[in-house]
Amino acid sequence: MTEAASTGARVLVLDDEEAIRRTVERLLTGHGFVVRAVSSGEEALGVAPRFQPDLMLVDLGLPGVDGFEVIAQTRDRTSTPIIVLSVRGAERDKVRALEMGADDYLTKPFGVDELLARVRVALRHAARGGRGTDAIFRSGGLAVDLERREVTVDALPVQLTPTEYALLTALVDQAGRVLTDRALLRRVWGPEYGSESHYLHVYMARLRKKLEADPANPRYLRTEPGVGYRLLEVDAEG
Amino acid sequence: MLPAPVAVVLPYLLATAGVAMVTLGIALAGRPDLGNASMLYLIVVLVAAVAAGRAVAIFSALLAFFSFNWFLTEPRHTLSVADPDDWILLLLFLLTAVVTGQLAAGQKRRAEEAEEHERQARVLTDIAIALTEPTLERTLRSVADRLRAELGVDAVQVELGGARAASSVDADALEALDNTDRTIDVLATDGGSEARWIRLAPPHRRLAAMAMAHRVGRAPIRGAGGEEAGHITLATSNRRGFDGAAARLLAGVAPQLWAAQERSRLRAEATEAEVLRRSDEAKSALLDAVSHDLRTPLASIIASAGSLRQAAVQWSTQERAEFAAAIEQEARRLDRIVGNLLDLSRIRAGSLHPDVAWYEPVALVRDVLARMAGVTAAHRLVLDLPDELPPVPLDYSEIDQVLTNLVENAVRHSPPGTTVTVRAVVDGGELRVCVEDEGPGIPVDELRRIFEPFHRVRGVTRRGTGLGLAVARGLVEAHRGRIWAESAAAGGSRFCFVIPTREAMP
Repeated sequence: MTEAASTGARVLVLDDEEAIRRTVERLLTGHGFVVRAVSSGEEALGVAPRFQPDLMLVDLGLPGVDGFEVIAQTRDRTSTPIIVLSVRGAERDKVRALEMGADDYLTKPFGVDELLARVRVALRHAARGGRGTDAIFRSGGLAVDLERREVTVDALPVQLTPTEYALLTALVDQAGRVLTDRALLRRVWGPEYGSESHYLHVYMARLRKKLEADPANPRYLRTEPGVGYRLLEVDAEG
Repeated sequence: MLPAPVAVVLPYLLATAGVAMVTLGIALAGRPDLGNASMLYLIVVLVAAVAAGRAVAIFSALLAFFSFNWFLTEPRHTLSVADPDDWILLLLFLLTAVVTGQLAAGQKRRAEEAEEHERQARVLTDIAIALTEPTLERTLRSVADRLRAELGVDAVQVELGGARAASSVDADALEALDNTDRTIDVLATDGGSEARWIRLAPPHRRLAAMAMAHRVGRAPIRGAGGEEAGHITLATSNRRGFDGAAARLLAGVAPQLWAAQERSRLRAEATEAEVLRRSDEAKSALLDAVSHDLRTPLASIIASAGSLRQAAVQWSTQERAEFAAAIEQEARRLDRIVGNLLDLSRIRAGSLHPDVAWYEPVALVRDVLARMAGVTAAHRLVLDLPDELPPVPLDYSEIDQVLTNLVENAVRHSPPGTTVTVRAVVDGGELRVCVEDEGPGIPVDELRRIFEPFHRVRGVTRRGTGLGLAVARGLVEAHRGRIWAESAAAGGSRFCFVIPTREAMP
C-alpha cells in the first residue's frame, strides 16, 4: 500500500472542511506519508512542536486563529515548508501568505497529481536547502550551467542579457516553486523595487521568446495569474 | 385695484380737494388772522407729502399759495403780492412741501424696500420648501404657482434642468408663454446694476406691430458659469407690463432656484453612485460566497476521485469505499447549495408558488433527518417529536429544504459532540418546528439580520454562504408563515418556523 519513493515524511494538514481533511489525509497516507490532520489554527500550533512536521498544508480561511496567523507563528520558530490551500479568486491572500513565508500554494479545487507534485518539490527544496549543489540545472531541453553562465535550449546556446540571466537564475534557484512578482523584482532589480511589475513582465516576455518554442504556451516559465511566476521542472523526455 | 390712470390722478384730486376745503373754511370763518389761518394749508401739504410723495406735496404747496393769494389776501382775485409777509408764507409752503415730501418719500421707499425684501424672503422660503418635492417637475410646478400668486400675473412657466412646469389662470395666458415670435421683456441682471426689464422686438416688424392680449417677460436662470440653465417666463394682461419689484424678485429667485436644483441634482447623483456601488458590492459578495461554497465540496470530490485513480497506490476495499462515500456526500452537499441558489433566485423573482398538499409533519421531519445522517453524524441528534401530528398543507420539497437548511446551519455553527434538538408541535392553528443547537449563540442585534441573504454573523469566517437562512425565510413566507431565531436557554441558538395548518382562503 505504501509507495517506496515517499519515505515517511511527516505532513501536518490544517483545514476546517472535514471532507477535504479526510480525503487529503487518506491520499497522503496511501502514498506513504505520516499524516496528522487538524481542523483549527489553535490545534495546528499546539500539535506542530510535538509532531515535528516536515511539511505543512495550511488552509487560509479558518474561524479563530486563521492560516496567516499559523504561517506567521510557524515562521518565527522553524523553516518547515508550508503549502497554502486557498480558493480561486483570493490571489491577494495567496501573495500575502507567500510574502509572510509560505513556500507555495494550491488552489481549491486541486488535482491529486498537482498536490503530490507540490508536496514533493517542497520537501526536496527543504532537504537540499535551496537548489542544491548541482552546477547545471536541467528541465526538459533547457539547461542552465550556473558555473560557466551558459544557457542552452535543446543543446543550442542562447544569448541572454545580464538582467535576463539574473531573472532566470532567480527562478532556477526556486525551481518548481512559485515566486511572487515582488520577490522576483527585489531579487533581480534590488530591494528598493517591488511594485514595478511591468519591468518583470517585459523581461519575462523576452526570456520566453529566447527559451520557449511557443512563447504563448510556455513549457518552462509559467505565469501564476495574479501571484507571480514558476519555473517548471520538466522530465528530460518532456 | 384701481385702473392705472385713476391711480395716478387721484392723489392730485384729493390734494386739490383738501386745499379747496381749507380755503373755503377760512373764507367762511370771517376774517381771522391770516398768518395763523394759512398754517392750516401746511396740514394739507404735510399729508400730501407723507401719503403721496414729493410731487403731490409740491403741487399742494403751489395750489395752496395761489388759493391763499387769490381768494384770501388783499388785493383779492389778483396774484399780486403786496405784503412781503406773503412772500415768506409762499416760501414756507414750498420749503415744507419739499423737505417733508423728501423725508416722507424716503421713508416710504425704505418701507417699500423692507416690504419687498420680506416678500422676497417669503418667496424664497416657499421655494426652498417646494424643492423638497419628490420630482423636479413638481418642484417647478410649486415654484410657478407661488410666483404667479406673488406677482399677480396671468401665467408663469419655469424651465430648469430638463424639466418644465407652468401655472396659469387661463389657456390664452399659457399660449402667450409659448409664442416666442413676439415682443418680450427680458430681465437684465448683468453688470452688477439693478435688475431691469429690456424690451426685445422680434425681427419681423409685422409681428412686432401685432396687438397682443398679453405682455410676456422672461427671466433667465443662469448656472455657475453664467450659462443659461433655464428660465422663468411670465405673461400678464396688465398693459403696463412688469415693474421693478417683479424684476428684483425674479433676479433674487433665479440664482436660488439654480443653486437648489444643482444641490438636489448632485445629491441624486451621489445617491445613484452609492446605490450602484452597493449593488456591485452585493454582487461581488454573492459571487465570492457562491464560488467558495460550490468549490469546497468540489475540492473534496476532485481530490477523492483523483485519489481513486492513483495507479501508484493499491487502495484497500475500505479505503475505496471511503473515497466513494466522500464523493457522494459532497455531491449531495453541492446539490443542496444549487437547490438553495435556485430557490433564492425564484424568491427574488417573486415566482415562488408552493405546490401545496396535505402531509403529516412528523414523517417529513424523520425523512429529512434520515437523509441528513451523514451531515449530523458528528453531533448528538435528539428528536423531540410526537408519534404523529395532524396533516398540514405544505409544499413537501420546500419545507424539506427549510428544515435541511436549519439543521445544516445548526451543525455548522456548533462544535462536534454537542446536541442538536429538533421539535415539532401543532398548536393554535400552526405547525411549529424548532431546531436548537449548543453553539456559541447569536448576538441579539444579529438575530434578525441573519435571515438576509449573504449576511454572516460578525467574527464568523467562511462558514457557509449565508444563503440557507435567507432561502428558509423566503420559503416559509411563501407558506404564509414566520421564521425567527432566538437564544436557547442552554446558551446556543434556536431557529423556529411556523406555518398555518389551514389552507389559505382563495
